[in-house]
Amino acid sequence: MARTVLSGIPVSSGIAIGKAYFMNRRLAGALPRQSIAAELVDSEKDRLAQAMAAAAQELADVRAKVPAELRENALIIDSHITILRDPKLLAAAQRFIHEMHINAEWALIKAVKDLETAFAAIGDAYIRERIQDVRLVADRVQAKLLGIGPGMKAIEGRIILLAFDLAPADTVGLQVDKIMALSTRQGGKTSHTGILARSLQIPAIVGVDGLEENVEDGEFLIVDALGGKVLVDPTEEELDHYASLKYQFESYQKSIIKNCHLPGETIDGYRVQVHANIELFEEVSQVLDHGGEGIGLYRTEYSYMNRPELPTEDDLVEEYMDLASIMVPRKVVFRTLDLGADKFLHPEGALDERNPAMGLRSIRFCLQRPDMFRTQMRAILRAAVVGNVSMMYPMISGLRELRQANRLLWQCKRELAAEGVAFNGDIPVGIMIELPSAVMTAELLAQEVDFFSIGTNDLIQYSLGIDRTNRLVSYLYQPLHPAVVRSIKHVVDSAHQAGIEVSLCGEVASDPFCVPILLGMQIDSLSMNPQAIPGIKRIIRQTTMAECKNLLREVLGCRTVSRINRLVRDSIFQRFPEELTFFSSLIESDEAPTPYV
Amino acid sequence: MTNNDKLPEGKDVTQETQQTDNSVCALVRVANELGLHARPAARLAQEAQKFESVIVLATDSQQVDAKSILDILTLAAPRGCGLTIKASGEDARAAVERLTGLFRERFGEDK
Repeated sequence: MARTVLSGIPVSSGIAIGKAYFMNRRLAGALPRQSIAAELVDSEKDRLAQAMAAAAQELADVRAKVPAELRENALIIDSHITILRDPKLLAAAQRFIHEMHINAEWALIKAVKDLETAFAAIGDAYIRERIQDVRLVADRVQAKLLGIGPGMKAIEGRIILLAFDLAPADTVGLQVDKIMALSTRQGGKTSHTGILARSLQIPAIVGVDGLEENVEDGEFLIVDALGGKVLVDPTEEELDHYASLKYQFESYQKSIIKNCHLPGETIDGYRVQVHANIELFEEVSQVLDHGGEGIGLYRTEYSYMNRPELPTEDDLVEEYMDLASIMVPRKVVFRTLDLGADKFLHPEGALDERNPAMGLRSIRFCLQRPDMFRTQMRAILRAAVVGNVSMMYPMISGLRELRQANRLLWQCKRELAAEGVAFNGDIPVGIMIELPSAVMTAELLAQEVDFFSIGTNDLIQYSLGIDRTNRLVSYLYQPLHPAVVRSIKHVVDSAHQAGIEVSLCGEVASDPFCVPILLGMQIDSLSMNPQAIPGIKRIIRQTTMAECKNLLREVLGCRTVSRINRLVRDSIFQRFPEELTFFSSLIESDEAPTPYV
Repeated sequence: MTNNDKLPEGKDVTQETQQTDNSVCALVRVANELGLHARPAARLAQEAQKFESVIVLATDSQQVDAKSILDILTLAAPRGCGLTIKASGEDARAAVERLTGLFRERFGEDK
C-alpha cells in the first residue's frame, strides 16, 4: 500500500504518474516570526513596502494578459491590486514593525488579523466575505517577502501540479505543457480547476482533504482520476497496476475519440441525438471535440453567481449570442435560472430556509422575481436571432407555473416588439421534468410545451425521497428503481403521444448501464457532460433497438431494484466488457453500509 | 439631523460647500443596488488616491479614509445610505467634484 491514499472528486478523467509540484502552498503558519533589532526597523518597513509594490506589479502584469472574454476575472484582479495599494494595510503593518520590532512577515499577519476582526463585524455577507480577497493578496506579499515567486519559473520535466486552490489569476501564467495532472484542496464538481483540466485534457481531482499535509514537494504520486484517488509514495505493485490501467485507458480513449463524430445511431438505424451539458462558454471546444451534436442543457447560473450584482440584459445577450452563434447550426437549449435563494450571493442570500431543496428555488424563485426573470428571457429571445436556440423552464410542478412563466414570456415578446428590438419569438419552449408532480401530469403538460427534458438527478431524489449526499441513505439512491424507470417511461410515452420530443439530461444519460434502457423507451436525445459523449455514442452504435426493447421489457417485469440491477449488470457486462473497465456507474451497490450506531 | 435627512428627496448628490478652513464638503447617497460593495469601493479608492487632499467619507456614526478600499468596505454602506465626502487640501474642490461624480453615475453600474 502506498504511504497515504487521499480521496477527492474527480473532475477530469485519466491517470497520471509523476512528481508533485506545489504552487501557492498556503504559507500561514510556516512563516518566520522574528524580532528585529531597532536599527533594522526602517529597512524592514521598506522591505514590506517593496514586497507589496512588487506583488501589485505582478498582478498588474497578469491583468494586462487577461483576454477580453474573461472580464470578470480582470475585475477581481483589479480589486486585488487596489487592496495591495491600499495605504491603510501597509501603514498598519508598518506600525507593527515600528512599535513591536517584528519582521515584515509577522507584521503583515497581524495587520490581516486586525482586518479579519473588523470585517467579521460587518452585517453584509457579501462585503464580509471580501476578507478572502485580503487573505489571498496577503499570501502573494508573503511569497514575495520570502523571495518565492508564485510562477513556475524553474520547473524541470513534467509535473503533477498541486495547489490549495487555483484562482483564475494563477492559471493565466501556467506552463501547460509541463503539467500532467492537477489536484487541489478546494473546489467542487464545477470549479474552475475542472474546466481548465478538461480543456487541457489532463486528469484532475479536486476537494482532496489533507493534500498539503500529506504531500511533499517532489514526492512521487499517482493521480487516479477514474477512481478519485491520490496515492502518495506508491508501491511497486501499485505503479505496475496503474501504469497498465493508464495505458489501457489512453488507448481506449484514442479509439473512441476517433469515431466520436459519427452520428448516434443503432445498428438497426434508430437515431438518437447526443448532446452536451455545459456551464461555461469555454467548454464549447470540448463539446465539438467530443462529437456533441448540440447543447442539450446550458446552465445559465454561472453569470449570476460569481459577481456581486445581477448581470444586465446586454451582458446576457452578448454571452448567449456568442454561444448560439458558435454552435450554429447545432441546437443550444438555454435552461432559465435554476438557482435556489440560498445560492444567491446577494441580497437574497440572507433567507433562512429549513429545507432549501423544497424551498424557494428555481422557477419558483424566478416567478417571485419577475424583473430578473424577464431580463433573462428577453436576453434569450434576442440572442435567438443568431442561432438555433431553445429555452426551457426548470422544476415545473404543473400547468399553473408553466402558464405563469409563459405569460411573462409573452409580455417580453410584446415589449421587445414595441421597442423595435430584434428578437426571435418562435423559439421552442420546453420544460424540465424533475418533480413527481410533473411526471404525473406529463400528458397535460405535453399539450402546452414544445419539448420535455427529464432531469433525472432531481427526479430520482424527489421520487425516492433520498438526499444523495447524505452518506447514511445514499445507497438508496437507485436510478433504476422501478418507480424511476416507470416514471421516465411514462414521461417519454406522454411526450410521444402529444407529438413532442423528449430528452434526458441527468447523469443517467451518461451511465452505460442505463443508456440501453433509455434507448428501449425511444428517447429522442441524451445530454451529458462532454467527456462522456464518445463512450456513450460507441455504445449506441454497437447496439440494436431490438435488444434494447427486449431489455426494457425484462426490466419492467422486475419487481425490485436489486433484480433490475442484477439483470442490467449481467447483460451489459456481457455486451460491452471493454467499455465498463473505465466507467463508474451510478448503479453500483444497493446494500446498506455498516449499520449506523 | 442625520445625513439622510439633509439630502432632499429624490436627489442623490448636493452641491459642494466651502468650509471655513481649507476644505470642501458634499453629501451623497449610495444609489447602487448592492451598496458600496467591492467594485465601487475599488473605483472610489483608486480615484481618491489621485488627489493630494486628505479625503474622508463619513456616515452618521463612522468616518473612514476614502483612499483605502479596506476602510470603505468596512463602512459597508448599503443602498440609500447618505454619506458626507469631505476633502481638505489644495485640490479639495476637484477631489469632491470627481468623487460626487462617481456617485452620480452609480459607478458606471445600471442598478
